Amino acid sequence: MKVLNIVLNGKAVTAKMGQTILELAREHNVFIPTLCDSPALEAAAMCRLCTVQVIEGKWPKFVTACNFPLRRDAEVVTDSPEVRHGRKLIIELLMARCPTSPELQRLAVDYGCDLERFAPLNDDCVVCGLCTRACEAVTGRTLSLAGRGVAIHVDTAFQKASEYCIGCGACVQICPVNKIAMEDVDGERRIILHGKIASRVKLPQCTSCGKHFGPVIDLQQVMERMGEHKIPPPNASVCPECSRRNLAIKLGKRYFEQYGVFEDEEGQANAG
Amino acid sequence: MIEATQVATSPEVNKITSPAGLDIFRKELDSKLDPNAPLLIVCCGTGCQAAGSSEVVDKFREVLSGIGWGGKVIPLVKPTGCHGFCSRGPLVIIEPQDLFYQRVTVDDVEDIVNKTILNNEVIRKLQYKPANSKEVIPRASDIPYYAKQTRLVLKNIGKVDPTEINDSIVRGSYSALAKVLTRMSPDQVIDEVANSKLRGRGGAGFPTGLKWESCAKQEGTRYVICNADEGDPGAFMDRSLLEGDPHSVLEGMAICAYAVGSNRGYMYVRAEYPLAVKTLTAAIRQAEALGLLGDNIMGTGFDFKVTISTGAGAFICGESSALMASLEGKVGRPRPKYIRSVEKGFRDCPSNLNNVETYANIPDIITNGGDWYKSFGTERSSGTKVFALTGNVYNIGLVEVPMGISLMEIVYGIGGGIPNKRSLKGVQTGGPSGGCIPIPHKIPDINVGYGKLAEAGSIMGSGGMIVMDEDTCMIEVARYFVNFLVEESCGQCTPCREGLIRMREILNRITQGDGKEGDVELLDEIGNFTNNFSLCGLGTSAANPVLSTIRFFRDEYDAHIRDKKCPAGVCKPLFHYDIEAETCTGCGLCKTKCPVKAITGEKKKTHVIDQSLCIKCMECYKNCKFRSVKIM
Repeated sequence: MKVLNIVLNGKAVTAKMGQTILELAREHNVFIPTLCDSPALEAAAMCRLCTVQVIEGKWPKFVTACNFPLRRDAEVVTDSPEVRHGRKLIIELLMARCPTSPELQRLAVDYGCDLERFAPLNDDCVVCGLCTRACEAVTGRTLSLAGRGVAIHVDTAFQKASEYCIGCGACVQICPVNKIAMEDVDGERRIILHGKIASRVKLPQCTSCGKHFGPVIDLQQVMERMGEHKIPPPNASVCPECSRRNLAIKLGKRYFEQYGVFEDEEGQANAG
Repeated sequence: MIEATQVATSPEVNKITSPAGLDIFRKELDSKLDPNAPLLIVCCGTGCQAAGSSEVVDKFREVLSGIGWGGKVIPLVKPTGCHGFCSRGPLVIIEPQDLFYQRVTVDDVEDIVNKTILNNEVIRKLQYKPANSKEVIPRASDIPYYAKQTRLVLKNIGKVDPTEINDSIVRGSYSALAKVLTRMSPDQVIDEVANSKLRGRGGAGFPTGLKWESCAKQEGTRYVICNADEGDPGAFMDRSLLEGDPHSVLEGMAICAYAVGSNRGYMYVRAEYPLAVKTLTAAIRQAEALGLLGDNIMGTGFDFKVTISTGAGAFICGESSALMASLEGKVGRPRPKYIRSVEKGFRDCPSNLNNVETYANIPDIITNGGDWYKSFGTERSSGTKVFALTGNVYNIGLVEVPMGISLMEIVYGIGGGIPNKRSLKGVQTGGPSGGCIPIPHKIPDINVGYGKLAEAGSIMGSGGMIVMDEDTCMIEVARYFVNFLVEESCGQCTPCREGLIRMREILNRITQGDGKEGDVELLDEIGNFTNNFSLCGLGTSAANPVLSTIRFFRDEYDAHIRDKKCPAGVCKPLFHYDIEAETCTGCGLCKTKCPVKAITGEKKKTHVIDQSLCIKCMECYKNCKFRSVKIM
């Protein structure tokens, strides 16, 4: 494998062919802020916060560190005044959409942002697309970027509560500004997006204790995506808690009943 | 009664099985043609069709068939593609006299047949009269609008019937393909195109030869794609080409496919061009029936199949990676990857994407050689370019000019100058990604070429050219384009999305009269940021209309913000009309034209506008013969 000689912020380092600037920077403990990057997903370069300057030929050019593959010897500047100025504007513009995000607030302090410059847009999303990409990786059918032009937003198909959601919560977990919520109420799991219910997933009721748990991830769908067709979905009629307790009771009976230690508690052990 | 010498495809066409067979076929068709046969060419481009040219064609056929010709040759009615002179449509040209009739309506048809065709009598009222002149110009080729153009790409448009492949073959279509397939290797084709110095006509101006070469170097299945997703406001070069001469584009694609080693072509046409899609579909079917496209072209063993794919009305799909995503059936958004589509494009295969006009240039380059092509245009920008001339200019339509021509020549020589005694303020080129060139006041003149336009802060673009007179407000122009992009951006990346929202906000504020000190600096800051940090070509040029107007018309921005005045009289809250007492003759025209009766005054005395009633509709200003109505 060819080794590339890169000058990273004035320091000579080596990089692997095709390695992204972000990977290289992290290897060498150079911090580049990111919003829409996740190691589990393909880079989308949507937030542009990781923009750096690269000089491969004569002129410096602006590229996003998360997906720019190094193919030639180059000089990389991750923190030039121009880059800092651009990042400052990105943060200011995103803060106008989403002023309460701790992540953005911290970056705003770092970059000395003037938060008075842009009138608030009162949108709670920074449109980084992480949730839609995570969703696509898991089920591919629930969340996507909808809307024309600058009115782009995360939404379900036809703005209706989606039928395809498996309630895995990946979107909730990955959102950098914590604006997607999930709650389990009335025997269903709800994903709440822009204050609206984006999907409802029925939660199964435990045949043992009667509590709702779950959700039963539609394994059939997941397996299909992974290319495994024959595995049947597991039997999940008992909640994990009951299942654990029932197993303990079973084992207890088997090993300790003979010593008379174990006493049956109104047939609960039979339920499992 | 003798039937007109009509070149019609007979139902049982024989496939052309060898390149020499094409030559024989053409000679056969040619021998049937009589150059002196009467011919009625009716422009059936979209513009003329909107003005009723289809009805004119039908009426001509009806009238002509209703006459006893007694041994004379019946004139053939030939509907053709766009002649380019759209502001004068529907156009009719009568051959062989080359008589030019403009604005022909159904009612004129009988007159034309009875007088001109039967009695050689010219109808004066239908003839073309240039602006500010009483002399008519009878022949089409003498009209300055046509005479001053250099028509290479458009040479067949307006001459051939696009729905009839034989008509194109007679004029040499597919002979370049035959030459390539028999006498040239793929490398020779690429060398010839590279030698011609043809640059991409879609806007960016990437050397076509270089693109083909890097595509040919790749391994695996290769695709040839034609970008016909023309979306710039006011531009219709590609549409006219597809509607008027589809075979030149198809031939260009086939030559490209041979050069890069592909046998699969796609044509991405926007769905808003139904006529182009229809013409193109018919053209492909006819070419395939003759064995000029499809499997085993002309018996040489070379296959090339073209499929048409229609867009769904997104401007962003003109961007290469968004176009390919859309072709694949995905959402048309640019791909965030630093890899060129000639390496990995459509279906992750090497794909050669060129504009319609680029492909249409290819057959001529092959036939006449790259050196011939280079003889047009300038050193760095060779050949010709088609522009859609529009705005405040007499002659609106398509013009093809050699590169390096002066912009003033286009506006005054071909365009015929600025109407209504107004003066020229600037020319906007390159659509929403371009800029305004302030000729003749701030830049005396400019020679049209990729480099020269870029120096002036604009781009060549796909060829939109909007002429603006003194009554145009530059801030309004910038606002118009930003508003367009706000709708058409894909919205993926922060700088383009948020930058456009903010630029629109500030420009709206300025045109409403609420501009603040520092707004121009903020616009400049956001504009430069958007251009540097965005993902795709749309984003990195989205701020050009704003930045170029700031660069050249800073005084207008200042007038809006500081003095709260719109010097051009466009932004309604920022001006009012007043009648100048010294020059007003009291003719009363403004009074009768005013829709809200805001103007009062006695005959032959100075009139007055009641500002509380005035709705600033411009009627008085436009109609005053003495220019006494002033913008204050």
